[in-house]
Amino acid sequence: MTTNTPAIDVQKSPAAAPRENYLNCSKGFKSWALTLDHKRIGLMYLVGVSIAFLAGGLFALLVRLHLWEPEGMLFTNIEYNQIFTLHGAFMVFLFVIPAIPGSLGNVVMPLMVGAKDVALPKLNLLSFYLWLAGAVLAVLAIVLGGFDTGWTFYAPYSLYTDRAIVTIGMAIFILGFSSIFTGLNFIVTVHKLRAPGMTWFRMPLFVWAIYATAILQVLATPVLGITVLLVAFERLYNIGIFDPRLGGDPVLFEHFFWFYSHPAVYIMVLPAFGIISELVSVHSRKPLFGYKLIAFSSIAIAVISFLVWGHHMFTSGQSTYAMFAFSFLTFFVAIPTAIKEFSWVATVWKGSVALNSPMLYTLAFLIIFAIGGLTGVILGALNVDLHLHDTYFVVAHFHYVMMGSIALAFFAGLHHWWPKMFGVMYNELQAKIACATIFIGFNLTFLPQFVMGSRGMPRRYATYVPEYVPYHQASTIGAVILGAGVALMVFYLLASLLIRKKAKENQWGGVTLDWIAPTPPPHLNFDEEPKVVHEVYDYSTLDYDSMQRDC
Amino acid sequence: MINLIQDPPQDPPKDATPWDGVPAPDIDAWGQLPVQAGNFDHVDGLFYFTYAVCIVFFVIITGVLLYSCVAHRRKTWDQKPLSNVTHNTPLEVVWTVIPLIIVMIMFAWGFKGSLDMTTVPQAAKQNTYKATAKQWNWTFTYPNGTRGYNEVYIEIGKPVQFMLESTDVLHAFYVPSMRVKRDIVPGRYQSVWFEPTKLGTYHLFCAEYCGDDHSRMYAKVHVVDEATMEKEPWNIVPEADAPVAERIAYGKELAGQLCASCHKISPTQGMDNGPSWVGMFTKVDGKLVGRQREVIEGGETKTITTDDAYITESIRKPTQKIVAEEPYRGRNMSNFETLDDARIACLIDYMKSLADN
Repeated sequence: MTTNTPAIDVQKSPAAAPRENYLNCSKGFKSWALTLDHKRIGLMYLVGVSIAFLAGGLFALLVRLHLWEPEGMLFTNIEYNQIFTLHGAFMVFLFVIPAIPGSLGNVVMPLMVGAKDVALPKLNLLSFYLWLAGAVLAVLAIVLGGFDTGWTFYAPYSLYTDRAIVTIGMAIFILGFSSIFTGLNFIVTVHKLRAPGMTWFRMPLFVWAIYATAILQVLATPVLGITVLLVAFERLYNIGIFDPRLGGDPVLFEHFFWFYSHPAVYIMVLPAFGIISELVSVHSRKPLFGYKLIAFSSIAIAVISFLVWGHHMFTSGQSTYAMFAFSFLTFFVAIPTAIKEFSWVATVWKGSVALNSPMLYTLAFLIIFAIGGLTGVILGALNVDLHLHDTYFVVAHFHYVMMGSIALAFFAGLHHWWPKMFGVMYNELQAKIACATIFIGFNLTFLPQFVMGSRGMPRRYATYVPEYVPYHQASTIGAVILGAGVALMVFYLLASLLIRKKAKENQWGGVTLDWIAPTPPPHLNFDEEPKVVHEVYDYSTLDYDSMQRDC
Repeated sequence: MINLIQDPPQDPPKDATPWDGVPAPDIDAWGQLPVQAGNFDHVDGLFYFTYAVCIVFFVIITGVLLYSCVAHRRKTWDQKPLSNVTHNTPLEVVWTVIPLIIVMIMFAWGFKGSLDMTTVPQAAKQNTYKATAKQWNWTFTYPNGTRGYNEVYIEIGKPVQFMLESTDVLHAFYVPSMRVKRDIVPGRYQSVWFEPTKLGTYHLFCAEYCGDDHSRMYAKVHVVDEATMEKEPWNIVPEADAPVAERIAYGKELAGQLCASCHKISPTQGMDNGPSWVGMFTKVDGKLVGRQREVIEGGETKTITTDDAYITESIRKPTQKIVAEEPYRGRNMSNFETLDDARIACLIDYMKSLADN
């Protein structure tokens, strides 16, 4: 009996030995903690931003549960103010900004351009550790007294409140550098490491989107860094930049803050657009409609986004001329955005539309983003904005963009590249159920907020006038459903790593280089240097066999 | 036989809210906005125009999308698409130019409207109120110099301007029924104007986050006729010779408006950010006795007895003597310098009425 055992092993092992890939090529804590492999760094980001997302989501649920009753169900006003601030700060700074570039951008973008890695792998690892340091400081700030200013940190309240503003400011400063380094790295990678034959107009649109994002990250983020430093100095040394008691100007803070934070909206949303462009094409098996116009509209959005920050301040008493310019340019930014949405829909038209889970998440995105974008047009109108500003209408609008669009695009991308990253497939049925649950829960949460907002419900209220009760309660029920959907998603994605049902070599039939690379990719991405001879999204080159072959 | 009909259980007394007694505003026919009680009709007009445009675009986008998903769905795993079209220049021009024209209309309409809202007419300038915002209440100064708190009376059909000032952080003056909102920035004056066109009482919210009790920073806007205005209902303060019950009732009402956002003004009403009013006075053998309290004045700790002079000083110059007791030590109360003697006297009468044996 015992003599047989090694014989069996010898027979089995050549077939059973998994091909070497980036996950199994080296082992141990150090091989991950000190890795320079963009894919491993991307996975570490993925774990980090997912934890931040779940924490931010938990705060959101607490906020919604508290608002079940008009006098508040769970917290005092003071506690509520901290929790909604935590929700906003965690979601924006630790999740939405770094999520897609840090995780999917890191894993997929170098594959897509046919590179072995990003241009500056050590800087890439530093970006991740800066993110981690920022996250640790943010948690430390909670321990040191929390923060209750809203994620916008408006002066002078942020100068007077006796909470850990300096600590969270430093967290944001450090997170900013993480973002800048990532952007820098991606710009150099796109310029220098494209495979032979990959011209600018053969780049997949996800790469264009990441590239446009990277430019914004590098140009806009320093302004935020300077602003939080000034707030910190002002708190520590009373220098009087924003504090009117010392001759400062609170509106200057708003200008500085939104000069970063409006482009930041596009730092968040452009990568989401990139994911959707890829997925719409692959799952419709059709070249993307209006490729060049979409690529240029990414750049147009990046440029115009620097010139519209004042639309966050229409009620602040800015001059008529400023209002004129900011409102005009705000409407202008609607056009490239609309072009993208139309082009995606035209891509689906007469495609070969696969209704699998990444596509369902994509469709959910397209519907939700239509609402998010269109309601933005309502807010761009000056006189209407004077009524709607700082109400739940704005809250609903930006959640349709931040959560409904960006987070859903992130989920879509995660489902799309999951088999590529891990070589395993999740349970498709559960994925479809989760997608439907998230879609229903999301809309139930935020549609009522449009109604109560236009009826006058101000945002950031711990207690409220009783006439808004039905809308708040519908919203809370929606949030619980949304939470259940997300919980199911986390469950089946993690379960797939244990069950290890093998994915196909080319699960969805993509033709960009990320799908040409072996699944999961080896440490250096390609077995031999890829050469690009076809136009991008040319599905006549699709190797159908690779869709049938286990990886 | 058990009597199934029982007395309903007594609800525990609820905290009074700042908006007690204000009816929910009527909602307009389309269900989205409170019925307009002011003159800025163009806000509603553009809002619903844009809304309608959005619905049209939304229906087109999702209609085409869902139709394609059903009609062109993949039935076999290796199915090829029906078309490989990569662009269509006329179509792309159309869907660039049409939205551009529509948003330019919206822009012009909205800008014109905002000029109307920010250009204060002469009639409104001659009817200028001052609204002073501080954490977390409103003081209104009428054109004739009289004052009211967390409640303001304006006359129907008469354009009114509010000069807005803040003594601490950012606030915002927001009356949804009038469609007006303006941030209040400490260190500068802002103004807002409108013409009330409908009698009634409306919400005034603080719409810019301002700290702990932001959500309770609320005032009632009464739109009344000329006859009511002439009676100056905001300025009826019981004099020293008025019946005590009336003075106490007025003091309680005022305390609910001004003080309850920080102090417990009765065992069931108010917040706990500052020292409670309960127990400030006690009755010993039918005589009122002020509470002994440790305070810090100019860095020195001393013990004082609560009396009329101490309370008056604490209202007008709250930083003079700061309560030493934790957790209130080190918390600064905003001052109420402008509160007149008659009102303070009523507040003190109310505080004394809380005393029991």
